[in-house]
Amino acid sequence: MLLTWLLACPLIGMLVVLALPKTAVRAIRAAALLATGFALLLSLELLIAYQPAAAGMQFVERAPWIPPLRIFYHLGVDGISLPLVILTALLGFLACIASYSIAERHKEYFALYLLLEVGMLGTFLALDLFLFYIFWELVLVPMYFLIGIWGGGRREYSAFKFFVYTLAGSLAMLLAILALYFRAHTFDLLELAAAGRTFELGFQQLLFLGFFLGFAVKVPIFPFHTWLPDAHVDAPTPGSVLLAGVLLKMGGYGFFRIAYPICPAAAMGFGGAMACLGVINIVYGAFVAMAQTDFKRLVAYSSVSHMGFVLLGLASLTPEGLQGAMFQMVSHGVVTGAMFLLVGVLYDRTHTRELSAFGGLGARVPVYAGFLIFFSLASLGLPGLSGFIGEFLSLVGAFGVWRWQTVVSLLGIVAAAAYMLQVIQQVLLGPLNERWRELPDMTLREGLSLAPLLLVTLGLGVLPLALLEVQDGALQRLIAHVVGAR
Amino acid sequence: MKQGRGSCRAATPPAVLGLVGLRAGGGVPGSASPAEAILSLGGLLVLLIGAWARGHRPALTASWLTLAAGAAALWSAPVPPASSPFFGLILCDPFSLAFRWLALGTLAIVLLLASASRELAAAVRGECYGLLLLLGVGLMLMAEANHLLMAYLAMELVSLSSYVLVGFLRERRSAEAALKYLLFGALSSGIMLFGMSLLFGLTGSLAFPDLQAAVAGTGGPMARALLVAAALMLAGLAFKISMVPFHMWTPDVYEGAPAAVTALLSVGPKAAGLALLLRLLEALAPLWASLSPLLLALTVVTMTLGNLVALVQTNVKRLLAYSTIGQVGYLLIGLAVHTRVGHEALLVYLVAYLFMNLGAFACVVAVMNGTGSEALEAFRGLARRAPGLSLAFAVFLLSLAGIPPLLGFVGKFLLLGSALDAGEVALAVAAAVNSAIALYYYTNIIRLMYFAPPAQAEPLSPSPSPALRLALGSCAAATLALGLWPGPLLELISRLAVVRLL
Repeated sequence: MLLTWLLACPLIGMLVVLALPKTAVRAIRAAALLATGFALLLSLELLIAYQPAAAGMQFVERAPWIPPLRIFYHLGVDGISLPLVILTALLGFLACIASYSIAERHKEYFALYLLLEVGMLGTFLALDLFLFYIFWELVLVPMYFLIGIWGGGRREYSAFKFFVYTLAGSLAMLLAILALYFRAHTFDLLELAAAGRTFELGFQQLLFLGFFLGFAVKVPIFPFHTWLPDAHVDAPTPGSVLLAGVLLKMGGYGFFRIAYPICPAAAMGFGGAMACLGVINIVYGAFVAMAQTDFKRLVAYSSVSHMGFVLLGLASLTPEGLQGAMFQMVSHGVVTGAMFLLVGVLYDRTHTRELSAFGGLGARVPVYAGFLIFFSLASLGLPGLSGFIGEFLSLVGAFGVWRWQTVVSLLGIVAAAAYMLQVIQQVLLGPLNERWRELPDMTLREGLSLAPLLLVTLGLGVLPLALLEVQDGALQRLIAHVVGAR
Repeated sequence: MKQGRGSCRAATPPAVLGLVGLRAGGGVPGSASPAEAILSLGGLLVLLIGAWARGHRPALTASWLTLAAGAAALWSAPVPPASSPFFGLILCDPFSLAFRWLALGTLAIVLLLASASRELAAAVRGECYGLLLLLGVGLMLMAEANHLLMAYLAMELVSLSSYVLVGFLRERRSAEAALKYLLFGALSSGIMLFGMSLLFGLTGSLAFPDLQAAVAGTGGPMARALLVAAALMLAGLAFKISMVPFHMWTPDVYEGAPAAVTALLSVGPKAAGLALLLRLLEALAPLWASLSPLLLALTVVTMTLGNLVALVQTNVKRLLAYSTIGQVGYLLIGLAVHTRVGHEALLVYLVAYLFMNLGAFACVVAVMNGTGSEALEAFRGLARRAPGLSLAFAVFLLSLAGIPPLLGFVGKFLLLGSALDAGEVALAVAAAVNSAIALYYYTNIIRLMYFAPPAQAEPLSPSPSPALRLALGSCAAATLALGLWPGPLLELISRLAVVRLL
């Protein structure tokens, strides 16, 4: 029942928030914080109780939901989903702390926020394709409202763009799901993975294409990425954190859990294309990020670049590549989540995100400067921090299989160093801009929301084995499943 | 899950009574369908009460009693196995039972809307209720018709009642809409009659079972004439269900009619028309190979046209009119694929459509009561003025757009599935693309309600009346609860979706 309780925490929190009067802002915040906090504790309990050596799904729950269509309420975790579940719970809790800066319509905000967390957790827990799709779409609606109501800039446009892009992708995925159901007559992901190997190549390719469109929009893969800068920039800070930290991972996770296991032969066939798309993401994202003058937009494009490593590692289908891809997803969630929090901290005080408007803040706000330098270095892939491990393993895995793609993608790493150091230089170094003479440093609450991310980044960078061991078994089995289908 | 294309023939040979094929021995007239009898008598009684009594309360009470008695009669009537009473003119099988319940449900919610709407003058509301009940009888008979004569009479009953209902407002727009509806309706029913006469001339019968046998035995040049007859009849039905290219009346009539009547028109005749179309196509099953490409093409055109034109609407009733055309396009998928799965999906989506579309119209009635406006601008900032109402409307709109976990998604899921199951990949892709297009105008209303600041800050007044709250609440609860827990509904429908001809 552990997984059901994990889902129930934010759900109960949402109902409590809805039951509270609109004016009881403190109670609403406390309820949301408690709900996400309990979810985090439960996810940590999962980690403790998880047995890395055991094969197959763990903590499985299965009950009939819609019997006429053979749809089950089927939950479970393995080494692929567990790290992402914990990442979701962690960012959900920390972004909830950051949500204290939301100034209006608190009740609606926290109710939608908690609903969003239900959807995100459910996506990673579901083992029934129909249930997966429900959770996947459930994420869409609250995020649409979060961007549209509490966002800034062209929030209505960005919210709509996010909704339409993702839904269009999801509909392609829905067609694939339906085609799959009428072929195999089940929605069970494990049964489908077994059945998928027997499908003829043409059918697998069609399925893969449908799933690809759904996941590619979420990841996002070039050229389906144009919603990302708008949505990330115009979302409120907690929304950006969850968008970058969790929602992009849903796309990557989809490849690991659904597209690759169910269409192994097609996945092998499309390996080269996936690797090329990964390289385009890495290089294109990095160079576009370099050209940005808006801090938040720069971080948004750096996400496009970083998610490219996930694709490259995945396309290699080697143990190192897959480990790197998974590691990169977790690391990117933590680091970029922190970067968006840092952008938010600065924006709350200065109401500008223009990089050229800052300067010399390093001496004025030393705590902030410390955090920013730390996470910028993590983002550009400094050895000893988590970003390096993910990128390095992805490249190692890919080098043997997709050699020239790997070589080209190194350009992206160089560019990453360039734009991240530029950020540090423009914001923290140089003469102090007189406008920010009275700028206050970070508050305790902001520090508390960032400190855990700092510890995780450092911890994963120094002791990567802790995460790699959790993932190892499931990834080995995935490779055996996909490659063995040849 | 797939059943063979075409339909099974009944074993009992029909005893022909006269030229048009009335069958004797099917039971005492009216005995097996007391619900329709109760509703007809009740409808006439309510008309009289409405004309003589002061205020609309007595008529309303009488309507509710009639509706309750009709529901009780329907509940207690033993339907399966199928029986064919009334000289074989109507067919009481599980399939028609489903549509009779749909008609009753529509009537109940529309009655709530009509009694709460401030548009309708209190002096004439009593007559409005009576006409609604009579229209309901027509809907039920349309779904039951097993004979072209009955089909035509039922359709005329529905049409004539709706012409009057559309013109119920004492304003120019309403009268214009009624006249337009009447002219279009008369033309299309003329075309349909022509088709029927051709069919009768070719086959010598009007009863569906005999038709099927006769059509199967026709070949050569006569087969082409049959096709013409079928196309002409299709045109008449296409008018009723707003299928392109017979949809032109829809936006004007929906805009001019009172909102409660528009709500009824957008659901009731669509459901009944689809039922009749389905049965007619079963009767003409031997022609299926020639009819199916036409139907498939019209399905895609209907949904695409409805959704594209809905994008640019500024009046909420016109917007919902085009949305209805789009939704009819989705519904037609279940018909066009011509499989058991498709029929089930059609029924599920109809149930979903009933709740979400009537719910959406209930919201429109509430906003019109409060603001007197039916422009989209009236919804600006509504979330702060009437949070409950806005939430309900958002649920209905998202359900119409097919977002899980709402009932509309379950229906659309099955419809898309039935298209893929039948191998019509292009149809499924077209429907998916349409869903993405439709998202724009549905979320546009949500955007206005939630993202835009309100023009006035004070709460909407008057806030929805109890009757309207009941309508809104039951529709929203059904949309959400059945969306989360569709199992029982699907099981029920899989037992009802058996289309047969006696």
